[in-house]
Amino acid sequence: MASITDTQFQPIVSLENEQLGYVSGKKAHSVLSDLNLSIAPGEKIALVGKSGSGKSTLLKHLRQSSSMPVAWCPQEPSLVPMLSAFYNIYMGQLNHHHWLQNLINLIIPKAQTKSDIRSIASTLEIEPLLNSSVDQLSGGQQQRISLARAFYQNADVFIGDEPVSAVDELQSRRLINQIIAKHSTVIIALHDIDLARAFATRIIGLKDGAVELDVSADNVSQQDLLTLY
Amino acid sequence: MTDATLTSSINTSTNSAVTYRRVSLLFLITLFICLPFANLSINTLDPWDELSRIGAGFLAPSFSNYQTLTEALLNTLAFAFQGVALGGVCGLILSLFYQKTVIRQFSAFIRAIHEIFWALIFIQITGLSSATGILAIAIPYTGIFAKIFGELLNEVDHRPIDAIGSQSNTLNSTLFIRLPLAWQHIKTYTCYRLECGIRSSAVLGFIGLPTLGFHMETYYKQGQYEEAAAILYVFFILIGTARFWLKPLLLPIYVLASIWFLPWQSYGDWSLFTRFITEDIVPGPLKYAQGDLLSQSAIFADWFTQRWNNEILPGVLNTLILSQISLIATGFIALLLFPWVSSLFFNKAGRFTGHSVLVVMRSTPEYLLAFIGLLIFGPSMLPGILALALHNGAIVAHLIGLYSQVLVLRDDASTGINRYFFEVLPRIYRQFLAFLLYRWEVIMRETAILGILGIPTLGFYIDSAFEEIRFDRALLLILVAALLNIVVDQIATWSRTRLHIHQRPGSL
Amino acid sequence: MRLISRLTVAVSLTLSVLFSATVNAQTFTFTAIPDQDESRLKERFGKIADYLSEKTGIEVSYIPVKSYSAAVTAFRNNQVQLAWFGGLSGVKARSLVSDSKAIAQGYEDQFFETYFIAHQSTGLNASEAFPMAIEGKRFTFGSKGSTSGRLMPEFHIRENFKKAPNAIFSDVGFSGDHSRTIALVQAGSYEVGAVNFKVWEKELSQGKIDPSKVKVIWKTPTYPDYQWTIRGDVDAQFGQDLTSKITEALLTMEDKALLDSFPRSKFVTATNQDYEPIKNTAKSIGLMD
Repeated sequence: MASITDTQFQPIVSLENEQLGYVSGKKAHSVLSDLNLSIAPGEKIALVGKSGSGKSTLLKHLRQSSSMPVAWCPQEPSLVPMLSAFYNIYMGQLNHHHWLQNLINLIIPKAQTKSDIRSIASTLEIEPLLNSSVDQLSGGQQQRISLARAFYQNADVFIGDEPVSAVDELQSRRLINQIIAKHSTVIIALHDIDLARAFATRIIGLKDGAVELDVSADNVSQQDLLTLY
Repeated sequence: MTDATLTSSINTSTNSAVTYRRVSLLFLITLFICLPFANLSINTLDPWDELSRIGAGFLAPSFSNYQTLTEALLNTLAFAFQGVALGGVCGLILSLFYQKTVIRQFSAFIRAIHEIFWALIFIQITGLSSATGILAIAIPYTGIFAKIFGELLNEVDHRPIDAIGSQSNTLNSTLFIRLPLAWQHIKTYTCYRLECGIRSSAVLGFIGLPTLGFHMETYYKQGQYEEAAAILYVFFILIGTARFWLKPLLLPIYVLASIWFLPWQSYGDWSLFTRFITEDIVPGPLKYAQGDLLSQSAIFADWFTQRWNNEILPGVLNTLILSQISLIATGFIALLLFPWVSSLFFNKAGRFTGHSVLVVMRSTPEYLLAFIGLLIFGPSMLPGILALALHNGAIVAHLIGLYSQVLVLRDDASTGINRYFFEVLPRIYRQFLAFLLYRWEVIMRETAILGILGIPTLGFYIDSAFEEIRFDRALLLILVAALLNIVVDQIATWSRTRLHIHQRPGSL
Repeated sequence: MRLISRLTVAVSLTLSVLFSATVNAQTFTFTAIPDQDESRLKERFGKIADYLSEKTGIEVSYIPVKSYSAAVTAFRNNQVQLAWFGGLSGVKARSLVSDSKAIAQGYEDQFFETYFIAHQSTGLNASEAFPMAIEGKRFTFGSKGSTSGRLMPEFHIRENFKKAPNAIFSDVGFSGDHSRTIALVQAGSYEVGAVNFKVWEKELSQGKIDPSKVKVIWKTPTYPDYQWTIRGDVDAQFGQDLTSKITEALLTMEDKALLDSFPRSKFVTATNQDYEPIKNTAKSIGLMD
């Protein structure tokens, strides 16, 4: 699915001396400062660091400033409880169609849509869950549905915030492999360092509101990574 | 997780959405059962003359009669404050014993009777006086407060009670532990109820108490739309700004001021009360009947059969048909309008417009809406359905709009119509059904006031009985209406339990 | 059981409070609902109160009410001692308060009429005979307790069709007021309506009626309508000759400004006997037992 295009050599995101934070009430809180970062097409990036180090803030910003469409998989699955897993996945393509078409699909899904979603679901091992409403599924099941929703967006760039945190180790590796197989550029925040080293070409480490580490995955040592925590 | 639990969890999760769909479908089926019996014909001929007069009145309201207006405004507030305060205190006392069945049934009964009917009863006993107005509000509100406060007290954190090892149902633990814990909610809810109290107080004017409704009805009746519009505008502003000046801290001051402004006064005495109990409500023919118990009961049976065939049966059927269709229409209008006041769909300016429209819709008396509908569509159930649905739809829309504000959507969530159907509607649906179920019995009570359309609902017959000074009939029909309300209330409670709607919508 | 006995005590205590503020030393009070223009009642009828007070030498006050039944109730409960009733409400009031009597009626009330009006789309025209062609139309009365808007038209409808209104018309409404009846028939919402002749003539002269859209198709025979009724116990309560003083004051009222509130040209004597026909009519159509 990853196609090589002309945009390959332009960076997907380029940040220069950026200041990131959030506003709560009337106060602005700075989370990350003096940020210099450029992400090229084809990179597989793992974002690591302690919780609260600013990973989510950075991912959010990367998604907003990306020059290409992004398949987005946030930490909270934020699924719609009354809808079945099928429609929660379908929502990945809501913006691709006219609302009328979406509504018709809500009542009678097209055969093509059904088979597309079923094939994504089967790669993520959730095909049997498609007709259940999601509110009482387990955390791991919900996370895989959220992942399927991101897959269904059919974007070249995947940005995920702890997308496999709620499944067991073996399954998380299989899922990460699926993410990489379906997207040319991948940026994932992870707390599992081994998993990060297993898939990433580049590792970015955050600490105390700054980029502490930004190296090729081949050159990183276990020691380097441990200093982040 | 074992396979078995996995399957069962999938099944229950499948069921929850399916249950909602089933309940919604059930309501739609009742709609289709009722529709063939409802007269929805449209007979439009020349509505434009009168409509343009109404329009002109609203464009150029006349405040020339501002003295009367001010007095009526103060009376409206005074009745509302005293009535709600008295109802609040009595309701709070009853709520301390709310776990007792007799208290629960008593509360359900007194709130099942519309404040207008309470007022019509009290006029017989305490005359046209402040006592009548205050009691007409206080009594049904006592029933409502007892229920809501009872539920609030029951829902408080149980740990402090367990900590002192006291039995959780004793009066002591309720007074000293539950009450302080629930106090904040009790205050907030009382403030919300005051807004309803102001509306009720204005409505009592329609039957003769000196509130805004008195003059509103007179002006409307005589086609003086400029003056009617002025009163309506004052009322809109009153309701629209209520959230700014109805603060718990200020309540005692308001109540004291209203007691000073409108002191307790009654024109009745014990003899009127005794007469009402022993004469007025005795079935007509029995008053003149002679003879033994057997012949008396035959007379009574004959009287009751007549009431059953002439008023109760047609009244109940028409009430059910009208309120069922109106309920579904209310639901549709609420779903159509709530985005207008939700930050998920509109910016500040858009929401302001939305709020204004909803205030106008929920504060315009239903009979005025019904009259406009009658001019446009001619006499049928249609104007009645529209009036009830617009009024109640605006209230439900307002409540779901507020509720939708707390939803958290994904950063990349879709917008517009896609957002409405896929992100928001499924998330608010449970709450929406809860609000609608709470509104059910209210709509049923409100069908009472649509006599102008000639729809013979129970309320129509009750009104006729009072108009004909036949309190025996009035009381029998009020009892039937109260019973119908209690049944609907029970079905609604049962549905809420089945739908697992535990979150009590405290704002109804 | 203990709970129930406590409840009983609470209820009786509440009831005692209920009457604790009863107004005992009463002012002579009257009420009136004119058949048209109910605005500024307090101001207009306050002047009548002043007039009566001046003529009788006792304090007189006015209390506004909303409906005929409210007026009857206030009269029955002695909250008011004198009332300007419609024909039907007066008969009801007098049947509920023994010894009460009609003392005066408007000059016009001796020969009151109801007009049947119809929208032009019905094609109906004025006739001497009762318009049987109104069968099957949408019909509206005025208020439920009105003599001219309900009692008399229903009587004539039943007389001529030998059926109840519901069985004759496709829709039967109660507009609540004569001026609503005119507005609704003029708009065509209802095709036919029954209206107080004085209200019709007033609105016609004010230009509120478009004669090309709505017109009178039948006039009922005359009947007695509005009258002043006074309680039988006022002399005992307020002084020996109050009834005759009040009657005198009403019959000699000449100030046009005062009479316009009703609006009547003058008041003439009336007796309970004058209203026997109304009573019989009300009984015959089941509005009274």
